[in-house]
Amino acid sequence: MTTAGAFVEVELVRPRVVAAGPAARPVWWRRLLRALPPYLYLTPALVLLVVWTYRPLAQTFQLSFHSWNLLPTSPITEVGFDNYTRLLDTPDLGAALWRTLVVILGMLPFTLVIPVLVGLLSRRVRGRAGAVYRAMVFAPMLVAPVAGAAVWQWLLDPTAGVVDKVVGSPINWLHEAGPAQIAIIVITGWHIVGFAVLVVSAGLTGINPDYAAAAGVDGASRAQVTRWITLPLLSPTMAFLVLMTVLLSAQWTFPLIDTLTQGGPSGSTTNIYYLLWDYGFHSYDAGLGAAAGVLFFVGFVVLASGLVLLSDRLSHHDD
Amino acid sequence: MSRIHLQGLTRRFGGVTAVDDIWLDVADGEFLVLLGPSGCGKSTLLRMIAGLLAPTDGRVLLDEADITHLPARERDLAIVFQSYALYPHLSVARNIGFPLRARRWSRDEIQAKVAEVAAVLDLSELVARKPKELSGGQRQRVALARALVRDPGAFLMDEPLSNLDAKLRSSTRAEISGLHRRLGATVVYVTHDQVEAMTMATRIVLLDKGRLEQVGTPEEVYDRPESTFVAGFLGSPPMNLLTAEVVPDGDALRVRAADLDLPLGITADTPPRPVALGVRPEHLRLTTPDAAGIRGVVRTVENLGSEEVAHCVVGDERLCLRGARPLGLHAGDPVHLTAAPENLHLFDPGSGRRLAWQPVPSFSHHPPPLPHPAPSPI
Repeated sequence: MTTAGAFVEVELVRPRVVAAGPAARPVWWRRLLRALPPYLYLTPALVLLVVWTYRPLAQTFQLSFHSWNLLPTSPITEVGFDNYTRLLDTPDLGAALWRTLVVILGMLPFTLVIPVLVGLLSRRVRGRAGAVYRAMVFAPMLVAPVAGAAVWQWLLDPTAGVVDKVVGSPINWLHEAGPAQIAIIVITGWHIVGFAVLVVSAGLTGINPDYAAAAGVDGASRAQVTRWITLPLLSPTMAFLVLMTVLLSAQWTFPLIDTLTQGGPSGSTTNIYYLLWDYGFHSYDAGLGAAAGVLFFVGFVVLASGLVLLSDRLSHHDD
Repeated sequence: MSRIHLQGLTRRFGGVTAVDDIWLDVADGEFLVLLGPSGCGKSTLLRMIAGLLAPTDGRVLLDEADITHLPARERDLAIVFQSYALYPHLSVARNIGFPLRARRWSRDEIQAKVAEVAAVLDLSELVARKPKELSGGQRQRVALARALVRDPGAFLMDEPLSNLDAKLRSSTRAEISGLHRRLGATVVYVTHDQVEAMTMATRIVLLDKGRLEQVGTPEEVYDRPESTFVAGFLGSPPMNLLTAEVVPDGDALRVRAADLDLPLGITADTPPRPVALGVRPEHLRLTTPDAAGIRGVVRTVENLGSEEVAHCVVGDERLCLRGARPLGLHAGDPVHLTAAPENLHLFDPGSGRRLAWQPVPSFSHHPPPLPHPAPSPI
């Protein structure tokens, strides 16, 4: 005798409750309370940013359409685009822009070339000696710019200064147009080079040593490893340093210019930041200074976005 | 392809000896696996062979030429790193062609050779991509291709499979083994994974704390571990190791411990001596209470699918038993076990070295003693 039968599918066993609707949402204020803490933590930083950055920025923008001599008692009058047309008509602006470019180009050896060379070479100094070496390179960064400037003033003195004795020619460094600009660049570079070396060292440390090891085993010489592996992998760091140099060189020179040359002789060290300061706080033309500030701000935003885009394209997400 | 000889290779980091006096010959075409737990010095040893790390002492010879002080780029060796170390800014083709570029091959020659190697490793579709656009398995193959491209004297591999998932790992294992067979290449391969070592190696070198514990074929190291370290490292679960004593009983030797009494299959008389008794979990058999040499209690039973592992307590020591499912054991059950004399391993409890039985010849009617320990069941 045979028995009749049929195959049936084995069903997935799971506990099933008759009407399991969506889980009840907590009441709105409870949800709000839960979402709040991250924003509370952010608040202090945001408040500081608004008070010290965004509000002054907006006020500068507003001020650039007014005329005011900074005296609280004198009236602020609206002048429309007057400040901007005045600014673009003076030859000062073009000359200051040119000098800013010179400062930036003059700074690149100190912020890029020397740090990369020192960084690559100092990798071979290991342990405590390496730490001491890096500390020595970084030390000038810790000297207050104004104090440094005072010492440099003695060193550069045309009658008793050490620099002229070493160079062997009586150059009046701070009172001749060309040498003054060079002095400002070199002193600023001396100040900043340690910081740039630190950035490069950090960048080099971030490169997995396996790459250099692999390239070595693959047959590359030390110079080839540097050229084909290390420098390309360091390019995001170098792009960052170029970005810093372009955006901040003129700012770094400011305390030195103000203590050593006050923009002179005959304006030869006046870059855009010093020009802006000069308009606002020497000529008491707040509107003109503000207009210059707004123009430079816009210009640097454009430059910075370009450089950031470039450095994004250079970075190789190393994972 | 080349032979590699290591002569007393030693590396110390400060007061720590990472690699301690290693003597080793790697034959032409051999697949030698350096196996050991992390920190045993196997990667340090490989890096010294590669020339990435200078030895504190000893020599490295490649085909009888002393290369101890030769920089890595002048040694005819290729290395595959655990991280693969693919140059992130270069395309797959430029990564594979890098060793040739460093050797100043012409552009056309490089292109042809890269295409050839890429085809072998099934990478032809990917040559234009950057490493970050590849999966783990593809990156692994690019790293292999970069090693293959210049026909090196030997391949060094530093845990090349440890970043792959389990399934990819077993297929890549087969791929590397196949490549080794096809090329007849000399390979020195570092791993902490005993499955990789057992399946791929022609010989395994077991390292512990920088010292060489045993060298042998996979069968030798598994079937005849020369130390408690090797016994306790290989196998899953590894060999059971129990504190016991060898005692004469009548005219035969037995090994005894609390709740344990097994014959060693040696007819002899010798004073009692303490030993470490080793027996593999799969060599323990369930038996009747009367025939039991080992009596214990089951603690837990693990289900591995095809097999079961029972964790038992014998005396105050733990013992694992592995067998086809179902073992028919449950937690709390008393368990009666036995093991054949040929599956018992004895070690010195102090040094941890394997003990081999060597009959003392009686001078009247026996031949002179053998120069080496005679093969015995143990």
